[in-house]
Amino acid sequence: MSAAAVHRPAYTGDRGALLDVAEAIAADWAALGVHGSFLARNLDTGEQLGFDVDESTPLASVAKVPLALVVLDRVASGELDPAHPVTVDPGTSSVGPTGLAAFRHPATVAVGDLLLLMLSVSDNAAADALLDLVPAAEADARLRAWGCDGLRVRHRMNHLYECAAGAAGNDFSLALELALRDERTGRHTIETLDPAHANAGSASALVELLQRVWRDEIASPPATAELRRLMGLQVFTHRLASELRADTLRWSGKTGTFLHLRHEIGVVEADSGDRVAMAALTRAERRAALAPDIDLAIGVAGRDAFEALRCG
Amino acid sequence: MATADEASFSRAADRLGIAQPLLSRRIKTLEEHFGGLLFDRSRRQISATELGVLLLPYARDVLDRAQRLRHVARSARSSRVRAVGVPADCAPAALARAIRAGSEHGITLGMRELSPSERESGLVDGSLGYALVRTAPERAAFRAPLGLATAPEPDAEGSGVARPTVHLEELRPRRGRAVARTAPPPLLLLTEDQVPCFEDRLARAAARAGLPEGRIRPAGPAATALAETLAGRALLLCTEPFARQHGARWTPLADRALHRGYDVRGAPGRSAAEDVPGRLAALLAAAVGATADRHGGPQPGAGDEDVLARLAARG
Repeated sequence: MSAAAVHRPAYTGDRGALLDVAEAIAADWAALGVHGSFLARNLDTGEQLGFDVDESTPLASVAKVPLALVVLDRVASGELDPAHPVTVDPGTSSVGPTGLAAFRHPATVAVGDLLLLMLSVSDNAAADALLDLVPAAEADARLRAWGCDGLRVRHRMNHLYECAAGAAGNDFSLALELALRDERTGRHTIETLDPAHANAGSASALVELLQRVWRDEIASPPATAELRRLMGLQVFTHRLASELRADTLRWSGKTGTFLHLRHEIGVVEADSGDRVAMAALTRAERRAALAPDIDLAIGVAGRDAFEALRCG
Repeated sequence: MATADEASFSRAADRLGIAQPLLSRRIKTLEEHFGGLLFDRSRRQISATELGVLLLPYARDVLDRAQRLRHVARSARSSRVRAVGVPADCAPAALARAIRAGSEHGITLGMRELSPSERESGLVDGSLGYALVRTAPERAAFRAPLGLATAPEPDAEGSGVARPTVHLEELRPRRGRAVARTAPPPLLLLTEDQVPCFEDRLARAAARAGLPEGRIRPAGPAATALAETLAGRALLLCTEPFARQHGARWTPLADRALHRGYDVRGAPGRSAAEDVPGRLAALLAAAVGATADRHGGPQPGAGDEDVLARLAARG
């Protein structure tokens, strides 16, 4: 690649050995044409490793986690009834490949189950139905009030589709091409790829959020417990979960994929009691929708970080 | 000019070898054209008018240039040696057939091995009379299948099952197989395939097939690239004759949009039909392993229909 593309990551690591792991992950990613940020933190010892942890990145579907917490907080406080039925009509609902977004007939689903669809299969229509009940601005204000600096919820999920289709006219290859070009020039044709206008966050802000959720230090315990349960139900296992699949490990996560963005955040909990929260936010140079080797490299990073950070 | 030099219509007509009335008519036409008399005919010995004197050096210049033009045209006609831009590593016997066919048409052909971009620019600057020019295979008159050269051992790539074609996604390393992890062999591109439009097309196809960008590399000198390939450490993108000639196994790429396309073109400014005899074109194409192909295969592109959901946030 060009000399201008060479980027020296800023590493985070509490010991030399942890810094070595962070550097190895960044090098592994760079070899595949992947850039971004990574942070993993042991929720009990506080030890961590990563790189470029404060870089703000568009979150894509990872934004559904803070949104879920805000909705669950309203449910816990009694402002919102989890049994409240919402009708989602395919004629007006949001675009997406899974869940209600892929439905071809109207369906009525309770708020509590919209949350399940949003987190288990990343349902865009379910997310936007929830954002109709709790507007983005209110969710954003709630996060601010909780002190979640570095996390912004600014728009509905369908805005991602609208901006991409608006710029590229329903041509996926062209949208991807634009995204990669804009990444080099720093001027974003697709607004939802601009951290200043998108639902955005940094690895450190996301790991901080996960830590507070897992330690019941945000919202209320019923809300955080339900969020942990729902994140444990995610069906996608191709990314951070890919190298953390064993009966002795439990992964609770949320992926985010949009054009060249491949993210996941989550927490791995071991039978041994070790708990490590992590966030991988990546941008790839590859002009492909599917890149399993990149997903696997993210998975390998998660495993390496977990094994370096667990105790004993 | 002659009239001014000789100061007489009759002597000038003699020198030019035309009848005097014709000369007088031509001068009149010129005078009408420039809107004024060029010669003063009132005296016995005619002389140029003020306007005539003013125009004289310019007229001399125009005639000199026309003379030079005729001269260049004559010498070009007489020599008839035409430089032909061809890719490196053409089959010599096939080139010889093209040279012989040229002599039968009274054209002496000089073959020059050049890179694709040099062949294009040679046609434009006039240093080449003809050239084999790379074009997209679906628009090209001739198509040469590109394939992967591999080491001759049957265990070089895959499980040893002989396949008629190779698909790029088959080059992805297999996951979950308990073998020592070695870096997958790079895909080497010869100079002939370092054409921007082809490289971009290949890069896109490779990305969509799940190969990282770094797998495709320029081959550098062909000999070392072949050595790496024969040693089983690289895959060389080349045509079948080139691979066979050096004892490598060769399997064509299944995606015909990634094959080489060639047109035989003459220098611009002449009609191609007149300038490139069809037989010569076919012989030149044969030298690069290409055959006439009017329906060059599918257009490259996204490959699949663009489902709306692909543009949405996913998982």
